[in-house]
Amino acid sequence: MRLARMASIVLGVSLMLLAGSARAEEVRAYRIGAIFSLTGSGALLGERMKTTVEMLVEEVNRNGGINGHPVKLIIYDAGSEVTKAVEAANRLITQDEVDIISGAGNMSGLALAIKPVAARYGVPMISNAGARSIVEPVEKSRWAFKSHLTDREVIGRAIDYWKSKGISRVALLSDTSGFGTSARDELKLQAGPSGIDVVAWEEFDMAATDLTPQLTRIRSANPEVILCWTVAPSGVLFMKNARQLGLQQILMHGFGYVVPKYMQMAGDAAEGAVLVSLRYPVGEQLPDSDPTKKVILQYNAQYKAKYGSEPDVYGAEAYDGLLMAFKAFEKANSFDKEKLREALEHLEFIGTNGVYQFSPEKHYGLTKGDAVVFEWHNGGWKLLMDATTR
Amino acid sequence: MPEFLQFLFSGLMVGSVYGLTAVGFCLVYSTTEVVNFAQGEFVMLGGMMAASWFSLTGLPLPLALGAAVLATTAVGVAAEALTFGFSRKPQVLNLTIITIGLAIAIKGVAMMVWGKFPKDLPTFSGEAPLVIGGARLAPQALWIVGTSLLVMVAVRLFMDRSLTGTAMRAAAADKGTAALMGIPVRGLSTVSFAIAAAVGAVAGVISTPLTLTSYDHGTLIGLKGFCAAIIGGLGNVYGAFLGGIILGLLEAFTAGLGGSGYQDAAAFLILIILLLVRPQGLLRGTGRERIVKV
Repeated sequence: MRLARMASIVLGVSLMLLAGSARAEEVRAYRIGAIFSLTGSGALLGERMKTTVEMLVEEVNRNGGINGHPVKLIIYDAGSEVTKAVEAANRLITQDEVDIISGAGNMSGLALAIKPVAARYGVPMISNAGARSIVEPVEKSRWAFKSHLTDREVIGRAIDYWKSKGISRVALLSDTSGFGTSARDELKLQAGPSGIDVVAWEEFDMAATDLTPQLTRIRSANPEVILCWTVAPSGVLFMKNARQLGLQQILMHGFGYVVPKYMQMAGDAAEGAVLVSLRYPVGEQLPDSDPTKKVILQYNAQYKAKYGSEPDVYGAEAYDGLLMAFKAFEKANSFDKEKLREALEHLEFIGTNGVYQFSPEKHYGLTKGDAVVFEWHNGGWKLLMDATTR
Repeated sequence: MPEFLQFLFSGLMVGSVYGLTAVGFCLVYSTTEVVNFAQGEFVMLGGMMAASWFSLTGLPLPLALGAAVLATTAVGVAAEALTFGFSRKPQVLNLTIITIGLAIAIKGVAMMVWGKFPKDLPTFSGEAPLVIGGARLAPQALWIVGTSLLVMVAVRLFMDRSLTGTAMRAAAADKGTAALMGIPVRGLSTVSFAIAAAVGAVAGVISTPLTLTSYDHGTLIGLKGFCAAIIGGLGNVYGAFLGGIILGLLEAFTAGLGGSGYQDAAAFLILIILLLVRPQGLLRGTGRERIVKV
């Protein structure tokens, strides 16, 4: 009798355990880790990235998750510091056991530091920073992906624009940071073969307080357009100083200067300034045939309804980065990191910033056709050149 | 030729701001022998406060600028009282290191108060540039150069002619003897900080309409001002201002003649050469050295 009782207890307990583990299997969430710089010099960018991904995860869970799995989001602040970013990546992988990292510090330097950590543990990482070296060379970037353009595409798009306007004489005024010098190298590579004559290569320190000497030199080289490449406030001086010197040329900025406040600071000097960038800022002006328009408008409406304020281009970058993770889970239908990685490598989807198309040879998904050209006109952006969607 | 003039204008404009910052270094050094590394932060504070006074209170521009200079002076006095006043070991090296801490603290607080986005001010008399010999000059540049010269001369006269100025130089020459003569040495340190903060704030206020300012603007301006003061001679107000002008011209001409990537390198190279060849600076000091010789 006693034996039978014992047996039934053991049976009961093991049944309960089995049921428990089965339930645990059923509710195991897809875990996504996000590292953003919410303090420090990159804080301006990180703020809306965080609110955007929180909104998206909330929404997907309300709709029953992905493949029946809820999504769990863990966010850490990297404080714009490399050491903190690496620490956060280690904690996400070893303690929180995340399946994917989407959001790698929102600064190129931080993403480059997180990359080897993700590679060591074999966890897919999606960055939304600019630098090309985050995903290239691709043999050394097995686990790294990017939801953003690189300066190669943006410079290429600028050349497209110049050609469409019959412009062949160009001056470059870039800052001496990594962002500026990288664009300089890129223009050096692409200008010659495209028949563009770069008549002046000027540089300035990010903290420069007067750019008239450089612009005076540019004036004597007589270009048709002046392209400035920086994210620093001195980009405002570029526009002011140029007009002060009486330069009538088209003034251009790269994708680091899509900041309406900077344009307002430059006042009249910014009128007609031309920018090459991702298409999010001009989302509402895109033709209806552009498949990203719907995504952008939906993002804007959803964000405004939830937070009562406007999202921004950085939030849009994080939006696409998180969407990549969602799609990878959906496609792989697995927790296996190698399967997730393979899914990312063959992903195709429409985000706010373009029509993404990844391949084992290309870990960043966008092409130069995903960049658009717009100008600052009457206190707002005005679309000049559409995206040429594949 | 117009190019040459254009570089000259740029150099004079930028150099005046460096020069005025250098004058602030001189003032504190002439009284306390301390190199005040927070001087650049006073320049930043002047600009930031003026921008805030102007945009938040709707005061007329001149009043907002005056208020900014006064407020920065108050910060200078408070900063000096809170640090130097409580220093247990008021030796030159300790106090110098305290000023580095002060600079970091002011910068940090500025970031919390004003955020990271840069601020600007309207120009004092319009944007339409003057055309001189084919070169273009912003009216604001004239304000910058003119105001800087005036302030610099006023500081020099104050140091040379006024009783307080003489007492300040005496304190620098020999603290002990000065104290025995009934000079309130401790209070003079505060006075020197007050004037240095005011001079720095003026530099910030006049330059912000052209250059913008942000919480981290003071670091580099401070460094350039320090270089200028070393070039010209730390104890000599005219020398320090001259050092600023030389530095500004050097930067403008290296950028203008094709070395725009080497602007800062050129400035610091000159500094190193000067320190090796003429460590006392271009002009002789007015503080310690002169009084000792009298």
